[in-house]
Amino acid sequence: MKVRVWGARGSVPAPGPEMNRYGGNTSCVELTLSSGETLILDAGTGIRTLGFSLPPDLERINILLTHLHLDHIQGLMFFPPCFRAESNIRIFGPSSPEASLEARIARYISAPLSPVEVRELPCDVSFHDAPATEWQIGAATIRAEAITHRGPTLGYRITDGDTSLCYIPDHEPGLGADLENLNEEWISGYNLARDADLLIHDCQYTDEEYPGHEGWGHSPITATLTFASRVGAKRTLLFHHDPLHTDSFLDDLHRSARRCWEDLGGNPEQIGIAAERAELTFEGQPSAAPAEARIAV
Amino acid sequence: MSGPQKPLELILARNLLTSVTTPAFLVARDGTLLFYNEGAGALIGRPFEDIGQLDLDEWTRRFGPFDDDDEPLPFDRLPLTRALREGRPAHDEFTVRSADGVKHRIAASAMPIVGAASGASGAMVIFWPVDENQAREVTTGRHEVAS
Repeated sequence: MKVRVWGARGSVPAPGPEMNRYGGNTSCVELTLSSGETLILDAGTGIRTLGFSLPPDLERINILLTHLHLDHIQGLMFFPPCFRAESNIRIFGPSSPEASLEARIARYISAPLSPVEVRELPCDVSFHDAPATEWQIGAATIRAEAITHRGPTLGYRITDGDTSLCYIPDHEPGLGADLENLNEEWISGYNLARDADLLIHDCQYTDEEYPGHEGWGHSPITATLTFASRVGAKRTLLFHHDPLHTDSFLDDLHRSARRCWEDLGGNPEQIGIAAERAELTFEGQPSAAPAEARIAV
Repeated sequence: MSGPQKPLELILARNLLTSVTTPAFLVARDGTLLFYNEGAGALIGRPFEDIGQLDLDEWTRRFGPFDDDDEPLPFDRLPLTRALREGRPAHDEFTVRSADGVKHRIAASAMPIVGAASGASGAMVIFWPVDENQAREVTTGRHEVAS
């Protein structure tokens, strides 16, 4: 499985020279499966540049949305394959008793927020509630489960052969819970992330910042790492960077996280931090990373 | 001991109950007592950590409830049962027995918990002593959990 990060920022795009290394685009991760099929996790602004990198003759595209906050769907309207008649795009996301996935996304891709409507997109696009049971896309078995965030939000576990990746970019499992001591059956996201080869997880705040943001749906370093430790993740990629966090700030945050992980008894090499355009290729255990320097592990 | 991860709505309900002083139980769809908070622990005389999860028969045997004549209340009359069966809130008053044998008259409101993905997964039962002074102590958190 190959993983490429196209947007690691949370909340709102944060461009600027002080953000160059980690990038300013919001959540979007590309997975290339062993079958060659592409899966896209979330459609933040990073999906725009991802779209330009895809082969023009790639017809079938699957997008898994964790939730519909703007930082996870904002790029959809600017995703180049949406404007090709040959594209067949399937979008999966959380269900809601209130309205269909298409109707909820159309609130964004419609006037006055957008110059085009969903029905005007030339591609063949379909919207699907993420199934309650595992389903298959190409070589991948996918499971979606509700996790603790504000509003209906999913995490995903993608298994390709004996390799598993868990993607929970927005998650506050420690809210009102003693993560360190709580029985695992009471930990949000536990089933999804258990023994994952790679856990891509929310780490929006430092521990010092968190008290001012409790209940906002995101995790501080300690909660992220405690969660990673409880689920037995083999490697963790810190994700969903706060828009105020500059490159140098994130370097410090990464160092703190690695120290904290070491204090928990782990190997600091297991803790990476997501940077735009970074790539990881792994089979079971992550192996060579063509953009290793940008992973900053 | 642990089992499969609970549905998110039960996890969040437990987190909520942990954060409030109003005594409350969290019960699974099959009647298993999954959790009770410190407020409830104060009233029944034992913290949850000492008791753990209990099946329906066990927790009704330990704590009641009882009717006005001190007879065990039929399970199908409990607000909890009505909430689980009918899928709507239910309320009643009855007596429970704490770990030291003392009986408390309580009012209880049960609310079904229905998850977006998993459907009816259980109920939350919030209760408080009918005695005003005791109720004030409990609901304002001025009580201690016996240990």
